[in-house]
Amino acid sequence: MTHINQAEILNHPLRVTRTRNISWAWLGVLPFFVFAIAFLILPASYLVVGSLQDTKENFTLANFADMFQPEILGAYWLSIQVSVVTAVGGGLLGFMLAYATILGGLPRWVRNALMTFSGVASNFSGVPLAFAFIATLGRTGFITALLKTAFGLNIYEYGFNLYSFLGLSLAYMYFQFPLMVLIIAPALDGIKREWREASENLGATSWQYWRYVALPILLPSLLGTMILLFGNALGAYATAFALTGGTFGLATILIGRQIRGEVLQNPGLGYAVAVGMVIIMALSVSIYSWLQRRSERWLR
Amino acid sequence: MAFLELDNVSKSFGQVEAVQNFNLQAERGEFVSFLGPSGCGKTTTLRMIAGFELPTAGTILISGNDVTFKPPQKRNTGMVFQAYALFPNMTVADNIGFGLKVAKKPSAEIKKRVAEMLALIKMEKFGDRYPYQLSGGQQQRVALARAIAIQPQVLLLDEPLSALDAKIRVALRQEIRAIQRELGITTVYVTHDQEEALSLSDRVVVMNNGCIEQVGTPFEIYNFPQTEFTAQFVGTLNRIGATVRDVANGELLIDSQRIVTAQKLEGVSNGTAVTLSIRPERISFAADGRKPNGLNVRVENITFLGSIVRVQVRAGDNVFLMDTFNNPFLKLPDIGDVVEITFSKEAVLVLKHA
Ligand SMILES: Nc1ncnc2c1ncn2[C@@H]1O[C@H](COP(=O)(O)OP(=O)(O)O)[C@@H](O)[C@H]1O
Ligand SMILES: [Mg+2]
Repeated sequence: MTHINQAEILNHPLRVTRTRNISWAWLGVLPFFVFAIAFLILPASYLVVGSLQDTKENFTLANFADMFQPEILGAYWLSIQVSVVTAVGGGLLGFMLAYATILGGLPRWVRNALMTFSGVASNFSGVPLAFAFIATLGRTGFITALLKTAFGLNIYEYGFNLYSFLGLSLAYMYFQFPLMVLIIAPALDGIKREWREASENLGATSWQYWRYVALPILLPSLLGTMILLFGNALGAYATAFALTGGTFGLATILIGRQIRGEVLQNPGLGYAVAVGMVIIMALSVSIYSWLQRRSERWLR
Repeated sequence: MAFLELDNVSKSFGQVEAVQNFNLQAERGEFVSFLGPSGCGKTTTLRMIAGFELPTAGTILISGNDVTFKPPQKRNTGMVFQAYALFPNMTVADNIGFGLKVAKKPSAEIKKRVAEMLALIKMEKFGDRYPYQLSGGQQQRVALARAIAIQPQVLLLDEPLSALDAKIRVALRQEIRAIQRELGITTVYVTHDQEEALSLSDRVVVMNNGCIEQVGTPFEIYNFPQTEFTAQFVGTLNRIGATVRDVANGELLIDSQRIVTAQKLEGVSNGTAVTLSIRPERISFAADGRKPNGLNVRVENITFLGSIVRVQVRAGDNVFLMDTFNNPFLKLPDIGDVVEITFSKEAVLVLKHA
């Protein structure tokens, strides 16, 4: 009885209201637009305008020309290296984990546990993450000490340094691979059991199934998500700053120092560096959504 | 010797006994259907033939070779799945050629075979399309072509039409049967649709609860169901309560009226309560000449179905249906009338109880 009444209510008056008073729906999304304009469009325009002005607010392209100096190029290069390494590393690790738990026939609770962990860990970054790593893998960290006393292995003597490229990459991996797990899970859910069975039935080996069916279907999502991870690492600032105290020359750290007026002495140049980052990010997100659309077409 | 043979095959999933003591001998080129309600073990049996499930007991032979524990790749069966299992990232042509490609056949041969298959399913123009650009019926035809392209020894179809519209379903099932005849390929067809099973098959295996109820031609299954389940599942069934009057002469009582069956009465004695089955179309209104079985009944309802008129009648506690051909020059009784109906001795089947 009740569901019939609900259906009537849902079908009738609401539909009428929606067509007649279409403007009310806009009110609901208004905060979003206000937010987007205030914190995305305006700052971005501010950046672009600033990057095209000299110190006397005259139009110039000099800031972009000045970016080709070793310190800035080096910062970009380092940022890109850290991002690529952690995107590919975290991406592969996350993919393998997700694949094993979703398609590997493991019990359901393993999947639930991994998903919950990933939801938490993918958001665990910044100062707490840096602190966690210092407390475990730092010079006097818990695991460093454990390895030393239990196995006589002093990792710092073997060249490990938490405050280096490797250490920073490890810390980034901590939020990179869970993000991969979260984003790739739906794509893996879309892989039908029948595809594997059909391919086995037609005589294909496991490798051939992978090579010709599963991988091509997953590749757009896989690459797309790695690009997203790349952007995620590229924009990270707090983790690196907290871990290395701002001495590690990433592009974001350079921008941070510029904002505080520690280097460069030229706000316009700082804006130009930031615009460069925005462009790289925008490119990655575009490629990501293009690849995502491609794979969705197949999986629907 | 049979071409496809299942010997006492059983399969349990933990506590669930999905298939029990399944025996089947199919000849080369035969079209066999597994018919039964959802959950009766049809798919599981088919998947054991394909190699996706391993039996807990029994053996499976294809062309005399024991394949019971061989992996699917080594069985040379062609399977068509219920849901659209085409590879979404490949064109129709690539889907059909997949089995030959992984077998590393030369590309000229693959191309030729794919063209043959496209012609066979009448989709020559669709080779470059992707699955998402096809209708459900077209997708299933491609799935069929893909399964046949590798020239399998046995073709396995698991409710291949159940996701399609009624019209397409009927057309496509005839097409499947025509292709199967043309190629002479031994086929196992799983369905829960009795009409599909009866219209397509050389033989039907009726299944219930993981067990075989009856194996026979569609004619035998429909006309001579051996168990109550088969009688009930295939076609419309009148179940009529009766008591045995005379075992030797096959005499029974329905609502204290005497009728006779041609069937030998076994395992019962005079006075035993039994259940009879009579198909609605085997009952007619009694003309003047006396028939061996006449029964006085009250007409309760009349439904006009076009070529057939379905009449619901009552005899004591028994309510059952009779179908008569629609004859515009014959007056039907009115509701509430008491009339005499008749049926032959052969039409009266005493159902085995499970
Ligand atoms: N992988 C499985 N695990 C556990 N039980 C299963 C599995 N596959 C099938 N079953 C059970 O086996 C029985 C037969 O299933 P199935 O062969 O799919 O029936 P049908 O195809 O006739 O509908 C059902 O009770 C089903 O729940
Ligand atoms: Mg099934």
